[in-house]
Amino acid sequence: MCDNYVMRSTRDVVDTESEMDFGYYSDPPLLVLASLASGPKHGHAMIEDIERLCGTRLGPGALYGAIARLEQQGWIKPLPAEERRHPYRITPDGLRVLRAKLTKLNEFSKAGLKRLEAR
Amino acid sequence: MNRRLASLLTRMYPRRWRERYGEEFEDFLLEGRADLKTWTDVMRGAVGEHIHPTMGGAMSEYRTTFGTVARQPSALVPLGMALTALAVVLGHIALYGAAREADEGAAAHIWQLLMVAQLPALLVFGIRWLPKAPKQAMEVLGLLMAAILAAMAPVFLLHL
Repeated sequence: MCDNYVMRSTRDVVDTESEMDFGYYSDPPLLVLASLASGPKHGHAMIEDIERLCGTRLGPGALYGAIARLEQQGWIKPLPAEERRHPYRITPDGLRVLRAKLTKLNEFSKAGLKRLEAR
Repeated sequence: MNRRLASLLTRMYPRRWRERYGEEFEDFLLEGRADLKTWTDVMRGAVGEHIHPTMGGAMSEYRTTFGTVARQPSALVPLGMALTALAVVLGHIALYGAAREADEGAAAHIWQLLMVAQLPALLVFGIRWLPKAPKQAMEVLGLLMAAILAAMAPVFLLHL
């Protein structure tokens, strides 16, 4: 599911100003899991939370694509609707997957930084 | 976004997806912006669902029932082989009796070929379905093993 972790850059030339806007995490399922790790949320709350978390604003298609896949995997579950809004919660399996993914990303990040330091 | 546009965008998704998420997705769109970025994102999501359906929620349960796994060609082929092998043995017994013959006839060779050919077919089924739906795949494997044992039983019990 989250194996295609990538960072995208929309600019070919990185100047000082664009360094702060270098790219964004574009793995919607991982972002949804990370958002739900702090408690159940409905779609709009997830989008706002994810934007606060990493600066990525998911569109409705990307969000519901991720929700459908995560629900299919059994990593999130829908809760009863609240005023037409449908909250979702992360499952114990989802928490395990999220922890494993973030640990892997952390290792990747450490290895990448180590290489940079060696230059 | 107005209701008409939200409904139009939702209708671009496959029917099964809409049955599960359509209502909440439309409500979600109603509360959001109606800019080009949103349209593009929704259209991309809809095209993706048509190409690689996620079949989320209750639909995934539909997809992974015992029946749906058992009807897969990778399960039907070994099942068909086992049942054909059983039919060959029973047919031979019905025609020529259960007496052991010194020379193996055509029926014996067909039975042996069918029994051996099932093994790679079973392997393919296991590799394909055990990771996707372990419980249902194990149940189907149980059925296949029962069919294989049924095909072997007359040969060993009657010492053919």
